[in-house]
Amino acid sequence: MIITVTLNPAIDKMYWVDRLKMGRVTQEEFLTRAIRSDTAAGGKGINISVFLARLGVENIAMGFVGGHTGHVVVRDLRDEGVTTNFVWVNGETRTNVTVLEQGREYIPVLIDEEGSPVSQEEIARFLRRYKRMLHRATWVVLAGSLPPGVDADIYRVLAEMATEAGVKVVVSARGNALTRALRAAPYLVKPDTREHLSMEGSPLTTRSKIIAVGRKIVETGVGILIISHEVTGDIAITKDGIWEIKSPVKTTQFKNLVGADDVLLGGILYMLDKGENIEEALRFGVAAGIRSAECDEKICRDPDKITTEMENISIERL
Amino acid sequence: MKVRDIMTKDLTSCEKDVSVRELIFILDSAGIPNIPIVDEEEKVIGYISEKDLIKAALPGYFEMLHTASFIPDLNQISKKLAQIADDPVEKYMQHDAIVVTEDDDDLQAADLIIRKGTKSLPVVDSEGRLVGKVKRIDLLHHLL
Repeated sequence: MIITVTLNPAIDKMYWVDRLKMGRVTQEEFLTRAIRSDTAAGGKGINISVFLARLGVENIAMGFVGGHTGHVVVRDLRDEGVTTNFVWVNGETRTNVTVLEQGREYIPVLIDEEGSPVSQEEIARFLRRYKRMLHRATWVVLAGSLPPGVDADIYRVLAEMATEAGVKVVVSARGNALTRALRAAPYLVKPDTREHLSMEGSPLTTRSKIIAVGRKIVETGVGILIISHEVTGDIAITKDGIWEIKSPVKTTQFKNLVGADDVLLGGILYMLDKGENIEEALRFGVAAGIRSAECDEKICRDPDKITTEMENISIERL
Repeated sequence: MKVRDIMTKDLTSCEKDVSVRELIFILDSAGIPNIPIVDEEEKVIGYISEKDLIKAALPGYFEMLHTASFIPDLNQISKKLAQIADDPVEKYMQHDAIVVTEDDDDLQAADLIIRKGTKSLPVVDSEGRLVGKVKRIDLLHHLL
């Protein structure tokens, strides 16, 4: 069983607009009307859960939820066929807003809330429940930002608990939470590089820098490290080799980038869980991410289209 | 139709040493009237509902009267609740939890829900571990 952990879930509220009026606008122009909108449960682990459920993979989503938006998250996940096991907290689950302007969907405007604080008692309640769930897990995905009140060491702690229980760990995070999680040597790591490409304080500006830093990380015991260095390119590093994965798709073709990175990771996990080799897993994952970015919908529904997209993905062993 | 086809795949549960205060918070936040009690392996070992808490907070003779009209105000319940707020739920839970399995028929679940007058039943796998719950509303939704 795959368990995903999203400690800072969200409602993803998406608006599609003809033209986004920003900056100095006249009084008559200050209103931007949405052509359409959509609401979905969000957060990196949750996106992976939804994608896996759409591929028919049973999985359990864990984390913190609260208030009215917390109920929306849980309800949405259940409708998607994901098993829910959240700890209820005092605050309100955050709402993240995405605005997609017609013709410029590949450069969305994102407004992410920080999330409500989580207390020490609530963290203790989560840790207890998480420990129980490890009995039935084969994989644990620790993904996304941390809410206020949660120490940056949490992913390291959760990863160590899972490894001790014989469960493989996947981490997708950034900043201190990622750096500390690396100490637990997770099986699969994908840094969240949405804001800027850097790891352990080093900006990763070139392919050779990515490989040098990546090799060092893999030497510490991380099984597979995947770094997205362009929107349509990724580098995977293991102790056995380095692969560069590319897609010819132009970024301007993307309709909705929200969650595409999580679908990529979910796709890799899906194939590894099935026992496929790393090259096939990478090909499927990148194809899934690209396919998802090409859909209006946040997470693509059609596995057949991913298979078609796989034909366009090139993998080069470096 | 099997229980697995109609159940709600939610694993909200608590341990037997959780306090009554915490339990009330969980029931209220999650918007559920009852909750399974599980052990360290997630096996269902009991069950507790709002009804069990009300029973624990009311004088013993209440059940005989089936009314609250004789209670002058709610202070009595409030005081009693404050007294038991830090007690572990183990003290008030039903130790003989009625469960159904994923492979049971929907009719079996409906029969139990009607006979026991409960709003939901925990669903367990072949090892007795919690995998979800089947609610009255799930059955109604499924039957419509």
